[in-house]
Amino acid sequence: ARSIVISVEGMTCHSCVQAIEQHVGKRNGVHNIKVSLEDKNAVIIYDSKLQTPATLQEAIYDMGFDATSAG
Amino acid sequence: MQKHEFFVDMTCEGCSNAVTRVLHRLGGVQFDIDLPNKKVYIDSEHNVDTLLETLKKTGKSASYLGEKSAQ
Ligand SMILES: [Cu+2]
Ligand SMILES: [Cu+2]
Repeated sequence: ARSIVISVEGMTCHSCVQAIEQHVGKRNGVHNIKVSLEDKNAVIIYDSKLQTPATLQEAIYDMGFDATSAG
Repeated sequence: MQKHEFFVDMTCEGCSNAVTRVLHRLGGVQFDIDLPNKKVYIDSEHNVDTLLETLKKTGKSASYLGEKSAQ
C-alpha cells in the first residue's frame, strides 16, 4: 500500500471533513483516509493497483473542493 | 418561471461553497442557495436526475422537493 498527502482547500467545518472521509473512504482500494481541517489536507493509504494520485485527487475535486496532490 | 427545489444537508458556508462549485462545474444552471433552510433552487436545462446526482457528489444527503414558482 502507498500513502499520499492531498491538499484540500474549501473545508470549513467538521461535516466537510466527514463528507470527504466517508465518500473517498468507500472507494475501492482506499485502505485508510484521515482528513485534517487544520492542516487542510487528506492523508490517504491506498492500493496502487486500484487508485492513483490522480483518481484520488479527482474524487475530492468532484465533491466541490480544490484538491492538489503534493506528490 | 419554474425552479427545481432541492434539499441539501448543508451546515455551513463550506458546504454551500461545495454545492456552488459542483453546480458551476456542471454548467448550464442558475441557482440560489438558502443555507439556513438547507435548500437549493435551480433553474436549468438539465433534468432533475442529473441535478440530483450533481448535488450528491458533494457527499451530503440531497433530495428533490419539487417545482417552485419564482417570486
Ligand atoms: Cu463544512
Ligand atoms: Cu459545512
